[in-house]
Amino acid sequence: MSEEPAPSARSALVSSPLFAGVIGLTVFVALWESIVRVFDVKRYVLLPPSTIVGELLERPGFYWEQTWVTALEALLGYLLALAVALAWGALMARVRFIEHATGPVAVLVQVTPIIAYAPSVVLWLGAGMRPIVLLTSLICLVPLLFNVVAGLRAADPAALEVLASVNASTWEQFHRVRLPSSLPFLVAATRTCVGLALIGAVLAEQFALVDRGLGQLIRRAFALSAFEQVWAAILATAVLGGVLVGLLDIAERRLLHWHASQRA
Amino acid sequence: MIAISDVGKSFATRRGPVAALDGISVDVHTGEFLSLLGPSGCGKSTLLRLVIGLLEPDRGEIRVGGRAPSALRRAKQFALVPQTPALLPWRTVRQNALLLTQVNRAGSGGPATDAIGLLEEVGLGEFLDAYPHELSGGMQQRVALVRAFALGAPLLVMDEPFAALDEITRSQMRYLLLRLWEHHQATVLFVTHSIAEAVMLSDRVVVMTGRPGRVAHIEEIALPRPRHAAQEESPEFFALATALRHALHAEVM
Repeated sequence: MSEEPAPSARSALVSSPLFAGVIGLTVFVALWESIVRVFDVKRYVLLPPSTIVGELLERPGFYWEQTWVTALEALLGYLLALAVALAWGALMARVRFIEHATGPVAVLVQVTPIIAYAPSVVLWLGAGMRPIVLLTSLICLVPLLFNVVAGLRAADPAALEVLASVNASTWEQFHRVRLPSSLPFLVAATRTCVGLALIGAVLAEQFALVDRGLGQLIRRAFALSAFEQVWAAILATAVLGGVLVGLLDIAERRLLHWHASQRA
Repeated sequence: MIAISDVGKSFATRRGPVAALDGISVDVHTGEFLSLLGPSGCGKSTLLRLVIGLLEPDRGEIRVGGRAPSALRRAKQFALVPQTPALLPWRTVRQNALLLTQVNRAGSGGPATDAIGLLEEVGLGEFLDAYPHELSGGMQQRVALVRAFALGAPLLVMDEPFAALDEITRSQMRYLLLRLWEHHQATVLFVTHSIAEAVMLSDRVVVMTGRPGRVAHIEEIALPRPRHAAQEESPEFFALATALRHALHAEVM
């Protein structure tokens, strides 16, 4: 074994997910760059990655500010949706009538595209961040809601009975057993929400008459045929999404270390 | 201590009401280890839930120390060990053992008990900060026993606590339970479908028969205490087990 350490080290490197991911991304970017150059694709069709990255690096402060604004909108929208989903979902999980009475409303909210009523929400709340946060929360709300209900109901009935045997209150059963039991469901729904919240924020910015954020930048730059800015903003959105997923992975490992999903 | 008089209980099902218990009368004495023995579906778990006030009887009455079960439950006088360990997977062994002392703090419970000492006593001293998924089934059930004993409650109610364990572990758990019980005196109401378990553990065994559950027979188990494994091979043990088997079968047929 000690005679040939090199091959085993090499195979460990090749089989590491990080290494494979870097390889995959590099090949993707290289293919993109070479296709655009080889076929001489027009700049209003597609730009090569080198140009897009160059645009980002030329004005990092500007793009950082737009990205930060969009990230804040997405985060606030998600948190608002989470708060509403926890309160609403707790009632739905506890009272069948509320579940049956409000379930159809939730489904309606889910199936109606936010773009259909985004201009109306801007009319109600005025220009600015408030309609963006509301629209973002509306797109995240229903996946969170149904997972809260399923998660609260997934609590071990025997554990609940043990608590009931010492007359633990409904609140004690909720926060000691039901809420932690719902965490795996909440994390899974939050994973869906990363993409949804970015869609919500980028889209809502285009209606909300704001002058900061990646969504409004894409719209304005497109109107001015500033394709370098369009694609730099798209790349910034993608990187933002990637960072949010990475943060969620870290949070998941800390929050759910006890759960079967975290064991290989 | 526990007076069960002429208790009946039915459950509503889609095909109408089903009688789970009918005319049950049993007295459990203070400090006694009493087992309810019967086939599955004979209502013995239902009876246990009636005793701790998680269900209300349709007929008859249950008094515990002269009081209503719900009043004792509010005062944390019952310690329940369910069929599965029912540990909270996000809590360590230590945190699970302390769980019941941390809820319903208004309930007085019993005298303060040293939960960590109990964990050490059942051989889990090395696993205080382990999580349930890192333990075997038998170790998890030991934590569940400690969680109940740590309450210091005068009444211990156990619903087939060893039914999910393998035969070897189950036999070890019986003696562990007896050891804990002899140190920390409590009145025990123990539900089981194992004849050997009932004989090994109990002062008296109530044989129940099913649909609806009735008391078929009550057997004194006069084996000397502390009990030990050699008694399982004695003629007295065999005679008691045979008597219980006959009582069960007389009703099943």
